[in-house]
Amino acid sequence: MIVHGSCRFRFDHSSSGRRGSDGFAFARRIVWVMLLIGFAICSPVISSLAFAEESRERSLELFEKHVRPTLVEHCVRCHGPKKQKGGLRLDIREGWEEGGDSGPAVVAGDPESLLLQVIRYDDLSLEMPPKGKLPDATIAAFEQWVVSGAADPRESSMDSSDLPTSDAVKPPTLEEGREFWAFQPVVQPALPDTGESWAVKDLDRFVFARLQEHGLTPNPDAERIVLLRRLYFDLIGLPPTTEQVDAFLNDPSENAYEDLVDRLLSSQHFGERWGRHWLDVVRFAESSGGGRTLLFPNAWRYRDYVIDSFFQDVPYDQFLRQQIAGDLLPTDDWEQKARNLTATAFLLLGPINYEMQDKDILEMDIVDEQLDTIGKAMMGMTIGCARCHDHKFDPIPAADYYAMAGIFKSTQSVIHSNVSKWNMMDLPLAPSEAENFEEQSTKLARLEGELKSAKQAFAEVGGSLDGSSIQSKSLPADRLDGIVMDDVDAERIGDWVQSTSIGVFVGRHYIHDAEQGRGAKRVIYRPVIDAAGRYRVFVSYTASNNRATNTQVQVRHVDGQESVRVNQRNRPSIDGLLEPIGEFQFEQGPAEIVISNDGASGGVVIADAIVLLPVTDAEETDGQASSLVRSESDASDEAQASKVLRDRLRSEIKELETKIKGLKKRLPKRAAVMATKDAASPKDIHIAIRGQTHQLGDLVPRGMMQVASWDSLPPIPTAESGRRQFAEWISSPQHPLTSRVMANRVWYWLMGRGIVSSVDNFGSMGQSPTHPLLLDHLASKFVERGWSIKALIREIVLSRTYRMTSAATPESVAVDPENQLFWRSDRKRLRAEDIRDSLLFVSGDLDTRYGGSNIRPGTKIEYGYRFTSKRRSVYMPVFRNTLPEIFEVFDFADPNTQAGSRGASAVASQALWMMNHPMMMEQSEKAATRLLGQSLVSDEDRVRHAYMQVVSRPPTERELDVAISLVTSSSDGSTDISSDVAVSRYAMLYRVLFQCLDFRYLN
Amino acid sequence: MSLITTRREALRSVGCGFGLLAASALAQRNASGSSKSNPLAAKQPLFPPRAKRVIFIFMQGGPSQVDTFDYKPMLEQLDGENQAFDDARVLAKTKEIKQHRVFQSPWKFKQYGDCGQPVSELFPHIAKHVDDLCFLKGMHTDGVAHGPATLFMHTGSINLVRPSVGSWVLYGLGSENENLPGFITLQPSMGNGGPRNFNNAFLPAVYQGTAVGRAGTSAKDARIRNLRNDTLSPSEQLRQLEALRSLNAVQAANRPGDREFEAVINSYELAWRMQNSVPDILNLADEPDHVQKMYGIGQKATDDFGRQCLMARRLCEAGVRYIQVNYSDNGNNPRWDQHSNLEKHADHAMATDQPVAGLLADLKQRGLLEDTLVWWGGEFGRTPYAQSNGTGRDHNPYGFTIFLAGGGVKRGFSHGTTDEFGHHAIEGKVHMHDWHATLLHLLGLDHEELTFMHDGRPFRLTDVYGDVVTEILA
Repeated sequence: MIVHGSCRFRFDHSSSGRRGSDGFAFARRIVWVMLLIGFAICSPVISSLAFAEESRERSLELFEKHVRPTLVEHCVRCHGPKKQKGGLRLDIREGWEEGGDSGPAVVAGDPESLLLQVIRYDDLSLEMPPKGKLPDATIAAFEQWVVSGAADPRESSMDSSDLPTSDAVKPPTLEEGREFWAFQPVVQPALPDTGESWAVKDLDRFVFARLQEHGLTPNPDAERIVLLRRLYFDLIGLPPTTEQVDAFLNDPSENAYEDLVDRLLSSQHFGERWGRHWLDVVRFAESSGGGRTLLFPNAWRYRDYVIDSFFQDVPYDQFLRQQIAGDLLPTDDWEQKARNLTATAFLLLGPINYEMQDKDILEMDIVDEQLDTIGKAMMGMTIGCARCHDHKFDPIPAADYYAMAGIFKSTQSVIHSNVSKWNMMDLPLAPSEAENFEEQSTKLARLEGELKSAKQAFAEVGGSLDGSSIQSKSLPADRLDGIVMDDVDAERIGDWVQSTSIGVFVGRHYIHDAEQGRGAKRVIYRPVIDAAGRYRVFVSYTASNNRATNTQVQVRHVDGQESVRVNQRNRPSIDGLLEPIGEFQFEQGPAEIVISNDGASGGVVIADAIVLLPVTDAEETDGQASSLVRSESDASDEAQASKVLRDRLRSEIKELETKIKGLKKRLPKRAAVMATKDAASPKDIHIAIRGQTHQLGDLVPRGMMQVASWDSLPPIPTAESGRRQFAEWISSPQHPLTSRVMANRVWYWLMGRGIVSSVDNFGSMGQSPTHPLLLDHLASKFVERGWSIKALIREIVLSRTYRMTSAATPESVAVDPENQLFWRSDRKRLRAEDIRDSLLFVSGDLDTRYGGSNIRPGTKIEYGYRFTSKRRSVYMPVFRNTLPEIFEVFDFADPNTQAGSRGASAVASQALWMMNHPMMMEQSEKAATRLLGQSLVSDEDRVRHAYMQVVSRPPTERELDVAISLVTSSSDGSTDISSDVAVSRYAMLYRVLFQCLDFRYLN
Repeated sequence: MSLITTRREALRSVGCGFGLLAASALAQRNASGSSKSNPLAAKQPLFPPRAKRVIFIFMQGGPSQVDTFDYKPMLEQLDGENQAFDDARVLAKTKEIKQHRVFQSPWKFKQYGDCGQPVSELFPHIAKHVDDLCFLKGMHTDGVAHGPATLFMHTGSINLVRPSVGSWVLYGLGSENENLPGFITLQPSMGNGGPRNFNNAFLPAVYQGTAVGRAGTSAKDARIRNLRNDTLSPSEQLRQLEALRSLNAVQAANRPGDREFEAVINSYELAWRMQNSVPDILNLADEPDHVQKMYGIGQKATDDFGRQCLMARRLCEAGVRYIQVNYSDNGNNPRWDQHSNLEKHADHAMATDQPVAGLLADLKQRGLLEDTLVWWGGEFGRTPYAQSNGTGRDHNPYGFTIFLAGGGVKRGFSHGTTDEFGHHAIEGKVHMHDWHATLLHLLGLDHEELTFMHDGRPFRLTDVYGDVVTEILA
């Protein structure tokens, strides 16, 4: 029997381990058909004929008396006909014979059967039943039942038709899957013949043909003034100025509209508006989110890369390749290289719990997040589902998932420590800077090397840069009175490890036995005695609580041998350095003192220096010496010399430090970005059964999603991760999903609803395209025009379909209330960013700088961040737990999850923001003050102007009445425009305008 | 009883002090006719509910079970001795089981009530209510650190983005009051997941929790964001609203019956009604002295949390579906988090004991306990041994205690046990998923049926887990 990992057949009640990322709330009965079949092959054979009939009877009796009732009461609810958690059922014999995910639950005769282990609660992560251990007597009965042959007469369940496989919805096979529309190759469809008609662009023909089929008439073209506002917000996310409105309305040219489109497309504001769309798609954020969220201080570089890519109209296929494998794309251009590298931050910007302690799981979580995002963002596929099982609805087997996961597992995304961090890479420098940088860094490296050796030399001569009493961790032997012998001069038996971690010690270091080889290590000191006599013996060691409490010191002297035990956890009594061993008589010549680790316990044995101090008459009466350390001035000539050396080194160090500091200041700043690189040793990975990282199945070679692959895909060289090949595959014109998904997104952003309305899901659980031919037309044109997003946008906004009114024509509403067929232009709601940018734009406060970091310097964590910037909303920091309030309130894309479409809620918190938020109050007053400063003579002029600014149209008669009465005092009908009253009245007008329906919607 | 009902009814449909407006809005709603256009309209549960609303008293940080309600004589017998414990944190990091010093509770336990539930000296006030309480002493959960465990308790997931329990409840049941949000959290923490703990995630935004105040600020100043306008007088605000109504009427006239426009117009009306009714509901001045005293209002230690608890009762009375009271702060190491100096548990007990007891008594005397489910607890418990042989206890997700009251749970009852040390739940184990399933069950919702389609598949609060703890149902 094979058991994988710690989590075996039970998965659903794990008390402490990681749970599956996302199980399915339903259809759980589709249980691992494949696995069950697999296990059936190796199902147990109750082979032994040794089970006598007697034993079988005993076993049956146990079963009926103890086992069956227990199974019914405690197990069958989750492992029976209705549910088979972990793929296991226990209501029929076959169920435990075949077992679940981890194989047979019971093997007759085997007391270590899995079922017995789990009911015994042997393994913390696997305890059954989950609500409490069975009584010991019952467990014993189960054991006896198994040992006696595990007799079980249940051939079939009460509900035998309900076998797990019988009503299972089988995942589609690859062949079936390829039949699905989304996996069919994109083919340029023939243009529908719509005769002399309404269509101005090819795409209109596809729309018109469908309308004709249903007897629908397209809405009329919208007026210029309506189109103008629609176009401004759709393309650049800002309202037109009053001058721009006038200019466009009065432009006599036939090409006025087309010219406006081209003008807007070439604006940097276009990059800002459309870059933000993509940032939604890729769950862009500047912090990791979760409980203890970490800041991504460099994520803004990726944001700017995205904005600029849209502005520059980087071909979409290239754009994708950069984001998946930018670090691997060959280029000689340093700027291109920088962009490519920056783009890979896409892979690292996810919501990740870097605190996760099990780093294997963390790595797979990151890979899963990457695959999930790539799948949904670029291919409209929820491939994340296949982490735990073959995709239930789409033709993505778990093997495909792990083939792709192997590619990203072979990519370095994370650097591990207690709290791990995403990978960072240095950005390349401009060639001019690079040369200088090279030169300066070489110099810097040299100086730093010099500094290091100067410091080392300084320490060796007992120098200390902080000037403590014994001036450093180490004390030179010559500063001690008496005969001194350091460990370096002693004979060592066995392995001793040098260390300097704890001071004070004599000489360069001390040594320890690493708590190993007890009884076999000795350090033998043989100091030479010049004059026979009594000496007091000391040993030096560095005390700490990981030291041995009974280190043996042996002294061989005239009268024999003395053995003393020293507790090296206690601080030595003399100078914190030396511990007296005793007084001994020595002959002239070499003495012998041995420190050994024999019988030592409680920690490491330390050996440093020994000291022999002749006992003078005076001391004999005095007793103890209080210090053996001489001050520097007392020291020998040799010590004097080293003092000179120390002084010289000290000033040398200072000088070097100054130089290095200066050089670092002048060194060109080299930016680092969140970016990936290939792992040192790329490799294939195993399927993780049910997504449990430690429960391994088959090894799968790295590769692509088969259903969307074709024969001529290049193989992945073993030394590469495969990311480059993956990027080639996904950005290929042959890929059935990539061009469709993006063409559909662009349509959604402009038209308000996708041709496939589930923009992130092109699978069978997503929506079908309402206009499959139109979608393929757009997708193939998109590829044909070099994947140019601007060309695609231009095509759509110049179409007649885009330019219709949004009016609810009753006859059409009756046929197609949801506007599935695009008989009108869908009215769109302004987004959070549009509202905020418009407010600032109208008040004159908008800071229109392009690009650059926008997180306040010094920010350490997102909590409590104050969003005070006046820059365009796309530059507002996006933190996963802390968003600007207006974003939260007005359905900003939740950065915690990939979502290419936004909600459109109408909730009270939005109204409250509009009525009372300080920003609304402040900006409306600024707008009022600005308006009153202009040379407009009447309230009517001013109201008209405000109308043009906010809703880009003049007021109706009725609106004018309401507005005028709002800004004029009720008493005399006039206002003094210099008064505060006037400002507050006009501020109120602006607020009402920003609140009204015609501001909040694009008609 | 009838008086109370009348008062509650009054609060629900009319709100406080703006009868006319609300009435006209009501008429409008009735005219537009259906709950289809109003996702917050009260909905029928799937089966008869035992509770209609929830008050969750969140004790952030992990109150220690062995110092409060889970009495373990073994800790006294073995106090100071080293024993092998599979510490959750040590295990995750090193996969090793190490020795830890058994640490007896510094507080004495006594049995209370007819049920004889042991309660430590920490909670003398709550102790008086044990015959109304239902203890779950075999709780266990996911997540060893505050962030993950707090998110897990609120959303059923340690890191993935999921709607909060309150959002699910509101989604399942709608709101009973047209003038108030259906899910309110009082003074929530901005740390450990912050707003994600009361977020609707992928559920529609109408189901999001509304924060009143935030942790670290005084309950006296707790209010809903943007509810007050400090610049404009009420008459100016009304003037502004009336102008808006006129403009919107003109603009909507082009699109009769447009539901989206209607929803926006209604959002302004609801905001206006909230602006008028919420301050009254949160204003405790009209509560009699003896009631305020019950909650410990006016005493330094208990004033702040007492106010929160009293606000919770008033919101409950007004028909708010899900109310969370937070004893929390914004730190990464929150209040009930004595890694060292366990004695500080006493401060937190002091601050919350009387207010919680006051709330229980008040709910009971008003008959609200009948159909309100009260849940008291933290995101996990604490270890029965000293952390790093020091003076505190580390986090323990393996076994801890929560208590419930009202809303269809057994009274004077205790379910589940931990081992002899109080470390692991061993019998009557209730995983946080199981508790979520049970909470929904008490409200008349089946946790396996209450799903929302997202990402092409239905999602649940309990993912694929959760069993209803039938043993505690009254």
